[in-house]
Amino acid sequence: MVGNAPEHPNYNMAIVKAFAVCAVVYFVVGALVGDLIAWQLSFPSLNVNEYLSFGRLRPLHTNAVIFAFGGCTLMATAFYVVQRTCAVPLWSNKMAWFTFIGWNLIIVSAVISFPMGWTSGKEYAELEWPIDIAIAVVWLSYMFNFIMTIANRKVSHIYVANWFFLGMMIMITYLHVVNSLAIPVTMTKSYSLFSGVHDAMIQWWWGHNAVGFFLTAGFLGIMYYFIPKQADLPIFSYRLSVLHFWALMFGYVWLGAHHLQYTALPDWAGSLGAAVSIAMIIPSWGGAVNGLMTLSGAWHKLRDDYVLRFLVVSLAFYAMSTFEGPVMSLKTVNALSHYTDWTIGHVHSGALGWVVMVSVGAIYHLLTRLWKTEIYSVGLVNTHFWIHTIGTVIYICAMWVSGIMQGLMWRATDDYGNLAYTFAESVVAMHPYYVLRSVGGLLVLIGAGIMLYNVVMTIRTAGQPNAAAARA
Amino acid sequence: MNSLSEFFNTDWEAMTRADWTGLIIVLALSALMIGLYVWIFRPANRDKFEQYRDFVNDEDKDMNREVGHGQTR
Repeated sequence: MVGNAPEHPNYNMAIVKAFAVCAVVYFVVGALVGDLIAWQLSFPSLNVNEYLSFGRLRPLHTNAVIFAFGGCTLMATAFYVVQRTCAVPLWSNKMAWFTFIGWNLIIVSAVISFPMGWTSGKEYAELEWPIDIAIAVVWLSYMFNFIMTIANRKVSHIYVANWFFLGMMIMITYLHVVNSLAIPVTMTKSYSLFSGVHDAMIQWWWGHNAVGFFLTAGFLGIMYYFIPKQADLPIFSYRLSVLHFWALMFGYVWLGAHHLQYTALPDWAGSLGAAVSIAMIIPSWGGAVNGLMTLSGAWHKLRDDYVLRFLVVSLAFYAMSTFEGPVMSLKTVNALSHYTDWTIGHVHSGALGWVVMVSVGAIYHLLTRLWKTEIYSVGLVNTHFWIHTIGTVIYICAMWVSGIMQGLMWRATDDYGNLAYTFAESVVAMHPYYVLRSVGGLLVLIGAGIMLYNVVMTIRTAGQPNAAAARA
Repeated sequence: MNSLSEFFNTDWEAMTRADWTGLIIVLALSALMIGLYVWIFRPANRDKFEQYRDFVNDEDKDMNREVGHGQTR
C-alpha cells in the first residue's frame, strides 16, 4: 500500500519533506566532521590550522549531529505525526516555514562561528548569546505551532507520540533559556550568569537533559508512531507507553548531578542523581519492551522490511544504553569511568545505535509515503543497515576497551603509593583504539553517504514512468 | 551488627538541611512514581488506556468511533 494511503488534502507535507531532506544532508555533514576529528585525535598532525583544529571542530560535530540532524528529524516527524494523529493540517504554514528557515540559519551560523572560535564554552550549548536568543525564538515558534495544531484537533484523544514530542519541546525551552543566561561582553563573547559549582550544576542539568529530552523523549515520540505504523500492528501496551511518558518526565530532570560525582557538588546531589538514574531503568526498559513486543508474533516482518529492521535494532541499543548509563552513574563505577573514553562509547551507543537508527528508519518510512514512490534501491538500504551497525559496534567496543584501560591506568599505584603510569603513557596506550574508533566512524560516514544517494535518487525518480511500473 | 544493618545505619543527628532536602525529594518522587504505577496498572483502567493501542493504524476509524460516542467535535 506504499503511496496509496489517503492523504488529508490540506496536510502540509512540504515542510515535512524539507526537514527530512535537510536531516539526511546534516547526517552526512555531522558524520564527516565527527570522523575527521576522530582521525585528528589519532594523528594530531591532521590539525592543520586553528580553524580546522579538534577544539573548534568538536562542538561543530556535536551541534551538527544533535541539533542539525536530530533537530531536523524531530521537526519533520513531529509535524508529520501531529497532523496525521490529530486529523488536521498544521495551525500555521507560515510559522512552520519560519521555523524551517530560522533553524537552518542557526545551523549556518554554527558552521561559521565554531571554526572562528566563538564559543561560550558550555558543552552542547556552545553557541554565543545572539544565536541563543535566535534558538529560543525559533524553538518557541515550533512549539507554539505544534500546540495550536493539537488544540485544533478533530479527535479528542491526544496520541502518546504527541505527548512525548510536547514534553520534549516544553523541557528544552526552559533548559535552554536557563542554561544560556549570560552577560554579553561583545557580540561574540559572553560569560555565564552562574559561577563555580552552580555553573557546573546548571550546565549538566542542561547537558544530561539534552540527552534525556532532545535525544530520548522526542525520539520516543518517533518510535511510538513509526513502529506500530510500519509494522501495521497495535502497540503492545498503551498503558506501558503512558507509564513510560510520565516516568520519563518525572525522573529525567534529576539525573544531571550524576555527571558531577566526586566534585565540589554536595554529595547528596550526586547520590540523588544516581538513585533516580537507577529508578529510570524500569520505565526505559518498559518502553523498549513495549516497542519490541509490538512485533510479537510478526518477527518474520524483519526479514523483508528494511525500515522495521532499523527501528527494532534502535530499540535494542536504547535498552542497552539506558542500562549502561545508570550503572555508570553509581559512584563506585563512576570512579573508574568518569573522564575516560567509556563515556564517549556510552554516548555513541545511544547516539549511533538509538537516535540515528530510529531516525533513519523514520526517514525511510517517510520517503516512500511523502514522495509516493518505492525506494530507489532496497539493496542500498540493506547495505546502509549493515555498514552502520558494524561501524557502530566497532566504535563502541573500541571506546569501552580504551575507557576501561584508561581508568585502570590512571588509578594504578605501586607498593609505595606512587602512580604506576604517567598520563602520557595512558595516551600512548589509547592510540590503537583511537584508530579503530576512526574506522568505525568512517563506516558510519559511508553509510550516511549511501543513504543520501539513495534518498536523492528516490526523489529524482519519483513520478517517473519506470517508478510507477515498479510500484505496479 | 551485621553488614547489612551497618550499610543502612544513618546518623540522623548529623543530617544537614541539604541532606533532608535530598531525602524528601527522593521520597516524594518515589511516592509519585508508585502512584503512577498503581494508576496505570489498575485493572479497572485497562480499557480506558488500551482502546488506543491501534490508534495510528486506524486513524479514520478511530475518529468515526469517537464521533459516534460524542467525544469529538
